Formats: sequence, C-alpha cells, structure tokens
Amino acid sequence: MDVQPDLDFIRYLKTAGGDTMKKCYQCATCSVVCPLSSEDNPFPRQEMIWSGWGMKDKLVADPNVFLCHQCGDCTAYCPRGAKPGDVLGAIRAYAYTALGWPTGLAKLASSAKGLPMLIAIPTVIIFVLWAISGGMLIPGAEDFKVYGYQRFFGHWDFHWLAKNVAFIDAFMLAAFGLAIVASYKGVTTMWAKMCEREGVNTDFKPSMVQMARDFVWPAVVEIVQHSRFRECGTNRNRETGHKPLMYAFGGLFIVTAWSAIANDVLGLWIPSLHGPMSVWNPVKILANVSAVAMIVGIGILWVNRSKSEAEDNITPTFYDWFLIWEIMAVAVTGLLAEIFRWAGLAAPGYIIYFIHLVTVMMLFMYMPYTKFAHLIYRTTAMTFERFRESSFVKNPLDK
Amino acid sequence: MDKKICTYICTGCGIGEALDIEELSGVVTGEMSQECKTHAALCGTEGRAFLENEKSAEGINTFVICACSPRVMQSQFDMGEDTITVRGNLREQVVWIAGDAEEGQEDSHKEWLQETASDYIRMSCTRASKTELPEAFEMESVNKDILVMGGGIAGMTAAIEASKAGSKVTIIEKAESLGGKANGWAKQFPTSYPYAELEDNSISAMIADVEADGNITVKTATEVARIGGAPGAFMVTLKDTGVKSEWDAPAKVGVDEQDLIDKGEMEDPNAGLQPYGVANEAAETFGAVVLATGWVPADVTEYEHLGYGSNDKVVTNAEFEAMAKQGKLDGINKVAFVMSPGAEENDEDFPYANSVTSMVALKQAKYVRENNADAHAYILYQHMRTPGNMELFYKGVQQDDGIFMTKATVTSVEGGIVHAKDTLLGEDIDLDVDLVVLAAGMVPTTRDADTINLAYRQGPAFLDLDLFDGYADSHFICFPYETRRTGIYACGGVRKAMNMQETMDDATGAALKAIQCIESSDRGVAVHPRSGDKTYPEFFMQRCTQCKRCTEECPFGALDDDEKGTPLPNPSRCRRCGTCMGACPERIIGFKDYNIDLIGSMIKAIEVPEDDDDKLRILIFACENDAYPALDMAGMRKHKLNHMIRFIPVRCLGSVNMSWIRDALSAGLDGAMLLGCKYGDDYQCHFVKGSEIANTRMANIGDTLSTLGLEPERVRSESVAITDYDKVADLVNDFVDEIVELGANPFKGF
Repeated sequence: MDVQPDLDFIRYLKTAGGDTMKKCYQCATCSVVCPLSSEDNPFPRQEMIWSGWGMKDKLVADPNVFLCHQCGDCTAYCPRGAKPGDVLGAIRAYAYTALGWPTGLAKLASSAKGLPMLIAIPTVIIFVLWAISGGMLIPGAEDFKVYGYQRFFGHWDFHWLAKNVAFIDAFMLAAFGLAIVASYKGVTTMWAKMCEREGVNTDFKPSMVQMARDFVWPAVVEIVQHSRFRECGTNRNRETGHKPLMYAFGGLFIVTAWSAIANDVLGLWIPSLHGPMSVWNPVKILANVSAVAMIVGIGILWVNRSKSEAEDNITPTFYDWFLIWEIMAVAVTGLLAEIFRWAGLAAPGYIIYFIHLVTVMMLFMYMPYTKFAHLIYRTTAMTFERFRESSFVKNPLDK
Repeated sequence: MDKKICTYICTGCGIGEALDIEELSGVVTGEMSQECKTHAALCGTEGRAFLENEKSAEGINTFVICACSPRVMQSQFDMGEDTITVRGNLREQVVWIAGDAEEGQEDSHKEWLQETASDYIRMSCTRASKTELPEAFEMESVNKDILVMGGGIAGMTAAIEASKAGSKVTIIEKAESLGGKANGWAKQFPTSYPYAELEDNSISAMIADVEADGNITVKTATEVARIGGAPGAFMVTLKDTGVKSEWDAPAKVGVDEQDLIDKGEMEDPNAGLQPYGVANEAAETFGAVVLATGWVPADVTEYEHLGYGSNDKVVTNAEFEAMAKQGKLDGINKVAFVMSPGAEENDEDFPYANSVTSMVALKQAKYVRENNADAHAYILYQHMRTPGNMELFYKGVQQDDGIFMTKATVTSVEGGIVHAKDTLLGEDIDLDVDLVVLAAGMVPTTRDADTINLAYRQGPAFLDLDLFDGYADSHFICFPYETRRTGIYACGGVRKAMNMQETMDDATGAALKAIQCIESSDRGVAVHPRSGDKTYPEFFMQRCTQCKRCTEECPFGALDDDEKGTPLPNPSRCRRCGTCMGACPERIIGFKDYNIDLIGSMIKAIEVPEDDDDKLRILIFACENDAYPALDMAGMRKHKLNHMIRFIPVRCLGSVNMSWIRDALSAGLDGAMLLGCKYGDDYQCHFVKGSEIANTRMANIGDTLSTLGLEPERVRSESVAITDYDKVADLVNDFVDEIVELGANPFKGF
C-alpha cells in the first residue's frame, strides 16, 4: 500500500471532534470493549491509526465507521484519553461531507462558519415566496380561527390546487427532492466503495426484492427496535432519548402524509378536510403526541450531551449540536404555532409559523450533509453489514 | 590486645525452652575453659546494660554472643572499637530450623538439638580465641583528588558534583574542547514539565560552569597513558592525544607468553614500553578515577537491505543530527526513521540502541516538522521506549499532525521507497520519502579499546566477563558505577546508552562513589561491598612459593607482583573477599578475624560421634552474602533442617581453602558442601568470580578424594539465590540423605 497521509484530513478531523485522535498508542483496549470488533477486524483500533495517518480513503468506505453508534465504551476505557468514539464521529462528519452532493452545499453544512448561510438560504427563499404570494398579511381573528395557517401564502379559487399547497410544495418538494437525489448519490457511492473495499464480486447481485427483504428490512427492524443501542455500556441512556425521537419522526411522517393526502387529494371532494383539525382528531392527537415526544427525546439527548461534555467524556462539535438545535427548533416552533392558533394570536403565530417553515426546510435540505445523514448512511451500512455476510459476497462453500 | 573472653548465652526467643542452657554453659566452662553467663534477653535495654557493665566492671573485651543470627541486632552487640564480638547463631540455625520432633523421636530430637547447639558454642568459643582485633591499613599518604576521564556531559557532571562536595577534580578530554557529543546536538530533549517541547542545547552553560569552577582543572587534547597505583594513590601518566608514549599501558603477558618472547618465538607486544610495575616519577597522583569516556556511533553498514553506504538517501541518526545542526534540512520534507533493522529474522533494535535512540527519533522527527509545516515524518519502530517523564515527550510528539508512527518490520529500502510489513495499519506499506534515517546505537568506548589503561598485573583493561557487550565491566545488578577495579567508577555512555538526564544522575552517583572510595582508603577500610571492614589480607611472604595463584585469581586485580612473581598487595584495591586466601596452596594468606587456622580450628571443634549412623556430621560453608541469609530466612519460616548439619559462614566461596575440606574429612566429618551465589551468565556473586572459582576447585578436590579412597560425592558445591529460602532446606536435606546413603566416613576415629 502506497501511503500518502493527507494532512488536511487530519486537521479537519481535529476540528470536527477528533482533536484527541493522535493520543492513540494502539493498545487496542477499544477493540476489546467494542461489540463491533472481531478477530480479523480490530475496530476501532485500526481506524484510529488510519485517522492519525490521514488515510481518508480507507475510512470513508469503512462500514464499521457507520455501524458505530457511539456507545462510548471505547472512549470510557481508553487509557490515553484518545476518545475513539469522538474520532469516529468526526470521521462520519467528514464522510457525509465527502459523499455529499452538491459539494458546495455539503461543505457549507460541515462547519459552524456556514451556519449564517445555512439559515439564510431557506429564510430568503421562503420570505421571497411569501412576498410574491401576496399572502404576507396578518389575518383577522375570525379568519385565523377558521383557516389557521392554511392561507399563509394566501388563497385563490382554483379548485384543484390550493395556493398554500402550491407554494409550500414549491420549496419543500424542491428541498426534499434535492435531499433524495443527494442521498441516492451518496448511498450508491458509499455502497460501491464499500463493495470495492470488501472485494465484493459484483457478478452476483440480489434483485431489488431480495435486497429489500433480506437486507434492508432486517436493518430497519433492528433500527426501530433499538436493539443495538442496548449493547451499549457507557452511553446506554441515549436510547431513552433516541427512541421517542425516532418514533416522533415516524408519527410526524404519518401525519404529514395524511395531511398531504387529505388536503391535496381527498380534500378535492370533501372540502371539510381542509382547515385545522380538531384537537380530538386521531391524526391531530398523533401529531401532538409526536411533537411532545420529539421535544422530550431531543431534550434528553441535549441534556445527556451537555453532561458528557461537562465531564469531558465527549468533545463538543458543531456537527452534533447543529442537529440537536435544529430538531429542537422544528418541534418547538411547530408546537408554539399551534398554541398561538388556539390562543387566536395571529401576528406572533404567523411569525413563528414562518420560522417553523424555515427550520423544516433546513431539516430536509441539509439532511444528507449533517448528522441527520446517519439516517441514510447508517441504514446503508447496516444493510451492507448483512449483505457482506450473505452468500452474495461470501462463498458458503469456503470455510 | 590481651583478650578477656566471656560467652553470653541468651535464653530469649525460644532458645531457653528448647535447650538445656546449664549443660551448654558447662561446654563453655568445661571443654572450652572459658567464662559463661546467661541472660533472658541480651538485645534489650537491660541486656545491653548488662553487657556494658561486663565490659567496664569485668574488663571483658571479647564477647561471644550465642543468641540470634549475626545478621540481626548488629548495633546492639557492637561493644565498641576496642572489642571483639563473635556471634553464635543458636536461634535461626539451631532452634528455629530444627523443627518439631518426629513421632517417637522426641528424646533423640532433644539430644540432637543439644548436640548441635553445643557444636555451635564450641565453634564460637574457638573463633573468639582465634580472632584478633583488626587494625586498619594505613597508607603512607592519601591523595583526595579525583581524575575524570572524558569531558562530555557525564564527565563534566561528575566533576561539578565532586567539586560541590569539596573535592579537587581534573578533567581530561582528548578533543580540543569540552562538551563531547552534546556539542553536535541541534536541540535537546525536554528536561522539565510538561516535557513537551525540545529545548535549546544547554551544553555551553555546563562548559561555562566547569570553566568557572575553581576546584576543577581542565586538560583538553589530553589522554591517559597509564594508571598505576591504587585508590588513594593512583599514579596517572597523561599525554597529548594520539601520540605514543613509553608510558602507555602495557598489555598483559602471561608466563607462557613471556617464555616465548624470551626464546624469540613471539614478538613482545610491550616493546618500547615501560613495564607495568615501574612507577613514573612524573605521574600525577589522584585518589579515584571516574571513567566517562562515553560512546561512538555504531556502524550500520552490515544491514545491506537498508542500503546504508550505497544509497545516498540513507543516513544514520548521528548524521541527521549534524544535518539539523548545520541547518541542511531544506528540501527534506518526507523522512522515514527506521528504529530496527527489521528484515525477517527478529524484532531487535539496532545493536547498542535503547530508549535513547527511540527518543532521538522523536526529537529528529520534530526537526523535520519544525522546518516545514507540511512535512511528513514517519517513525517505524519495533520498540518505542520512553521511560519516566519522557513518556510525556512521546505523547507530545504523538500530537503532531505530520508525525506518523507505527510498529513495523522494515524489509528493504530501495531508492527513496521504504518497504515495511507487519504494520499496525493492517497491511504492508511503501513510503516514498526524501531521506531514511537509521537509529544506529551508541557503542561504548570500552568495547574496542582498553580505555582505562591500567598498569596492573592483570592487564590494562577491565576483565571482560563477555556478558555485557563491551560495556564497562561490570554491571552488578545491585551496584551501579562499580567496575572490577576498585577506585574506578564508570558512568554515562560507557555503562549504557543514556540520555542527558540519566547521564547526569549516573555521573553524580559515580562522583559520590569516588569520594566514598577515597574516604574509605583514607580510613584504611574496605569500600565495597564489605564497606567499613577494617581487616585486609595479610601475607606471610617467607613461605610464598611465587605460584601466582593469588595474583591470577583475585577478581579485582588487587595484587601486582615483582619480577620474581612475589605478590605485591594493594590493600586499597582489595575488596576483602578472601579469594586469595582460598587460592593459596601454602595457606599463608589470612585476615585478623578470618584465616585458615581460625576456620580450620572451628572445624576441629565440631564433636564427631563415632559408630552412630544417626549422628553423622555434614559441614556446610555458607556464603555470608546470600546463602547464609537464605538459611536464616528458612529458619524464620521454620523450614526443618536435618540435625546432622553444621554451618560455617564464609566471606565468599572464593575464600574457601580446600585445606578446610581436607581438614573436615580427615577429622571424620562425613560430607562437606559449599553453598554460595549463582555464577555464569546471570551471576549473583558479590565478588564476581568467587563461587565460580570455588566450583572449579571443588571439581579438582573430588579427584584428590578418590585417590584417597573417599567417594567424591561427599563434597559438593551448590548455588542459591537469596530468594531461595524455601528451597534451601530441601537442597541441603537431599545432600544429607545422599551422605547417609554413602554411610559414615571411613576415616572416622583415626
């Protein structure tokens, strides 16, 4: 192997939470405590020296880096304070940027320096659309009570597409579409690199159905069940935060999907489906429960992280905090907007709702480049983890 | 001295219960015709007052204390300069080690125990009557100045420390200026917390300190031609560096070689040189010598796969240091530091490397990085050794973005490519670099030269045991700085590859040892390891046959000789081991409190019962340094020993004269054993060669015994470590069983 250390990569890792990585002296205590480590694969001992040697190509295609969910045992047991858990986090942050498309946006989302721009982009887009829509008017109390935020972007009488929906779709679908494309590119690149690194013979490929049934679905089930979190020692309490948070996302996904169908499809024939739902509507109940679960979940993670940082167990990074802040912002603005609606306070309600739209758009648009990307890359890695053990990769006749 | 002897039997610590004290007193007053008193606890305040009263009121000046081991309660039973104290070990080696009676043997057990104790009483009384009060050897004059050979960090530190303690010091340095190897360093290792950053070279400050010190004389461009004399009066001939002198130290020429030379069949290696025994009137006198001649960079051309010598991209660490010192690192942006020759055979570092070479690689990697922020420095090691606070230095270097370390086996260097396998990166690697630096070791100057240039009978160099790869002989485990030449203390690179701080610690120790040696010589007592011993070997020259065994066998070269071969003792070189006494076939060498007659009489004092196979007598000479304490410890732990054994402590097995073995067997004793320290590769002998010499002598005496019709199995030499206290009982009991098997000595009763 021709070794060409990349000093810039080392410098990046040091700013992204990996400042301790060079303390590693390869004793492999981390590999002893890590549930991911195996005899042939001294994880994360080897990843530590690759990081220290600036070998980024080895790391970006390393499924183990993404399988690690930072249980913290390695960091807790490390005799040199090298914090392998944090280093792996930094590597993932680097990988999300490296796999990200378009590159400029991915770089922007990789450090605190880009934060003003990250906020400015959706703010400006939504503000401009709001201004263009002509809906930038605070409604009267009666209208607000009846329509809530349904006429945020105004109203027209074109029956087949509500004006509000048209405008929201205009930027949300665009942001979402960008995220989908970026994710697709990132995941396929990563998959190809992992296959190459593992020496997978590409002659044998599973069908889409096989792929979904045998590899993706079991991975998703495991993710939903949080079973891997339970192998955690040091950071086990993160499960109590991550679980409600993930379920909240699930709940809100259902709510959003229902709203889209109810408003944009069924609403064409049943006009009463438009307008704010009753508090006792099951969908609304799910929405509110999810919103509370989201705040509780992200709140727990927030507290845990602050505590660990105070105890110097983990290193504070923009990468970690950006996602926490963002999810918290989405949840709090959403809930506040609803509360203002109940209270009939149209002016503050509209402002909060505006911010809510901005935060949600940020969540979608930056998903593939921020820590939120673990949603796709970790799922990919967990799928690959199953795939590489299957007979598509390993000849079952070899022993 | 007019001796007034009295024996004091202590009845404390179980002695009184186990033994019939009255009967023992009877042995003293009866057969030994000496006074005897008993006391319940001689070591207590009352006991001490009692003994002091005996001295002042009764005029007793020779105390025979039959109580505990001579290894304990030494100050309690030290009755003053003008008295003799002899210790009988009734506690550890009689009462405690006898164990409990076996069933049905209660009566015999008591009888046996009483017999054993009586023998120890007899031996102690005999010893007391044969011991004379030692008088320290007084030299005509003692010079207290210290000669330091070598003006590097070690030598200068030794000089400064000795000066601080009030000594006058002369440093000789063969180069034109002081400083030694340190003059060539670009930077030095960190010396204070947090041990993270390299420091500027501080050697010039040390040189200034030396030059400003009124107690220190510096002679540069100077070498030692020869050192004669002895501690307190070394006669040192100096000369200009590199010139030949008639006073250069002559090589050792043995009797056989001299024969050949005389017949003209061999060239005289010492032609044109003054014989070793001739004193140079112009020589300077010193009390002690500190050897600090340091090291030279090792040759690494033998490792062909690394290409040193043929590949201009491969240099040694010493050469790289010079490049850094001269600021020639521009354009060198990728450097591989190779710590071990690697290849396939083993994971050893370069010869003569140790932690220092690890740290030098770390330091030089820093040079590369400090010269260029985008440079890469690779350290390929098998062993990364950074002891003590240097671990912090290692941690600091580790933090550098551009320093990459891995354990690796370097298989070859081709052009600028370093190939390595077995790396921590999980695969073989190829590094494309501008320069490859090999971590060559530090070869002690003592490996390839006599260095110390002694004008001693045993030759100009230290006697090499071939155990220490040419480092200044000898590395006693427990005695750093000591060489096999009393009064000459080695420090720094001649002892071990050391960094600056280690060297300074080492040199301080050596300086203090030199002062201790001078002071001991001044008082006429032994320096080491029998520190403070006033006795010294005395020779009855009228009966000397010039056989030269003493001069040959002395492990410390204490004996020179004249043209006829008569030994010329140098008491201040002597360590008082008695190896000369053991060697002498004429039995003319002895100490005031330890000699052929004294031990011989003790042997004869042992009562040898006849016609009783339950009462055989086996004599064991136990070395005082390790074997005897091991036996004491066995006693403390109540490890049972056979009742037929009698111990006599000896200074070193080397001091055991074979006449004692003959005395013992002809007196009817049934077996004899020597119990001493380990010898060989991991020798533990305090006098280096004593137990080994004894072993050879015992092999020879075995032959003599068989000609007398005695089984050679009746004598044996064994070695034990001080930690073998749980094995020593089995070792001697097995020997007793074998003697019992052989049956009684046929000479018994003659």
